[in-house]
Amino acid sequence: MIDPQLLRILIALVGILGFVALNALALVYAERKIAGHVQRRPGPYEVGPHGILQPLADALKLMGKQLTTPRDADPVIFWLAPILCFMPVALCILPIPFGPNLIALDLNLGMVLILAFAGLGVLSICLAGWGSNNKWGLLGAARAVAQNVAYEIPLLLAVLSVAFMTGSLNLATITEGQGTWPWQWNVLLNPLGFIIYFICALAETNRAPFDLPEAESELTAGFHTEYSGMGFGLFFMAEYANMIVACSVATVLFLGGWNGPFAPGWWWFLLKMYALIFLIIQIRWTYPRVRFDQLLNLCWRWLVPLALLNLVYVTIIVKL
Amino acid sequence: METLAFFAYALYLAIIVGGGFVAVTNPDLVRALVGLVAAMFGVAGMYFLMNAPFVGLMQLLIYVGAISVLIFFAIMLTRPPAGGEEQTPSTRRPMAVLAAAAPVALLGVICFKAFKQTVAVPDETGIKELGMGLLGTYGLAFELISVVLLVAMVGAVLLGFKRREEA
Repeated sequence: MIDPQLLRILIALVGILGFVALNALALVYAERKIAGHVQRRPGPYEVGPHGILQPLADALKLMGKQLTTPRDADPVIFWLAPILCFMPVALCILPIPFGPNLIALDLNLGMVLILAFAGLGVLSICLAGWGSNNKWGLLGAARAVAQNVAYEIPLLLAVLSVAFMTGSLNLATITEGQGTWPWQWNVLLNPLGFIIYFICALAETNRAPFDLPEAESELTAGFHTEYSGMGFGLFFMAEYANMIVACSVATVLFLGGWNGPFAPGWWWFLLKMYALIFLIIQIRWTYPRVRFDQLLNLCWRWLVPLALLNLVYVTIIVKL
Repeated sequence: METLAFFAYALYLAIIVGGGFVAVTNPDLVRALVGLVAAMFGVAGMYFLMNAPFVGLMQLLIYVGAISVLIFFAIMLTRPPAGGEEQTPSTRRPMAVLAAAAPVALLGVICFKAFKQTVAVPDETGIKELGMGLLGTYGLAFELISVVLLVAMVGAVLLGFKRREEA
């Protein structure tokens, strides 16, 4: 009686939530270890061999903490925000083809679906900053809005350039349009698009050097200053899940998805995705945070015109 | 399947009406905005139900992702107190109800007159046909709408600059 498509989506959602949670644990460990080694210290070392159980301890701590609501905060909006932050990310993973048959929802408009639901992240940050009735939170929210609205434009233009090349917004079709070997991937024909996409993805996921909405040296913790326990935990998981989405989309659009020499499959996809995530983590611990005017100047003076020029270049290439 | 669609319809309708009610009545502007966002979500669901996923996703991308954030930005810049003291006395409520009811009645009558009730779900229109339609058959209307949007945008920028000079 139950529609098989609906059942497929439900099972996929459960699977995705498990993947996202496990992935957050792994990435927390990776992030802290890499940060440690970049700064010439061992990183977490006490819990388990080489600190491997540290993320589990962190997760237990977060889940055990009391959830506090600030006295003058708006309780409805305050607790709506972390949920609204986390749920759409899980939906964003639905149309991503991890392998030839490993796709939860083969949708013709897969790319549009990801962009549409990714836009909800800004709204949740706004609500979090506003709802906590805290000056730092509000400043973080204001920064998040200016940053995300600005960087969405070059991001969309970079995605559009790939859509021009493939003539499709279906992520599976885009993957199949690229060949087995690295020189057949979109990144070679459209390198500028890849660079623009990657910079914008960093800004959209609020990762350093663009982590101004939560800049701890200026705003304590920005929009999630007031969140304790799993309220903060959900924002945290959403950030790592957002990294998965951004890197997966980059893998599909520019790096050939699950295509790869010798035995194409989901392992190639995961390899490329985690390589990109590794790069993002390294960038975070290598470069200092940009100033806010630098951030906006970079977007409006460089990325938007370059993305437009890139679009012209791609149309010429497609015509040839 | 049909009962499922009926439940989905009822759910979206409840979300739209409930969200709209919150948006209109709540004295706290940000809570009203949350209601508006919920209503927009419901409308997007309706588009999906009518087998128009592109329009539904665009509804989410533009209205939920962009317009509501801009409204939020406007609220934040004008800085109303969080307690919600900005509600105006409701002396003009009858006029407001009339202003809201008139277009609803007009549109409703047109909808009931112009479209026959159908049971079958329409086939999904691909983005290709949609694009062809917008730039081909309905090209003039499409361009006119974009001109109107451009004029509104330029006007808003112009007004913004004037304000700044006075202050």
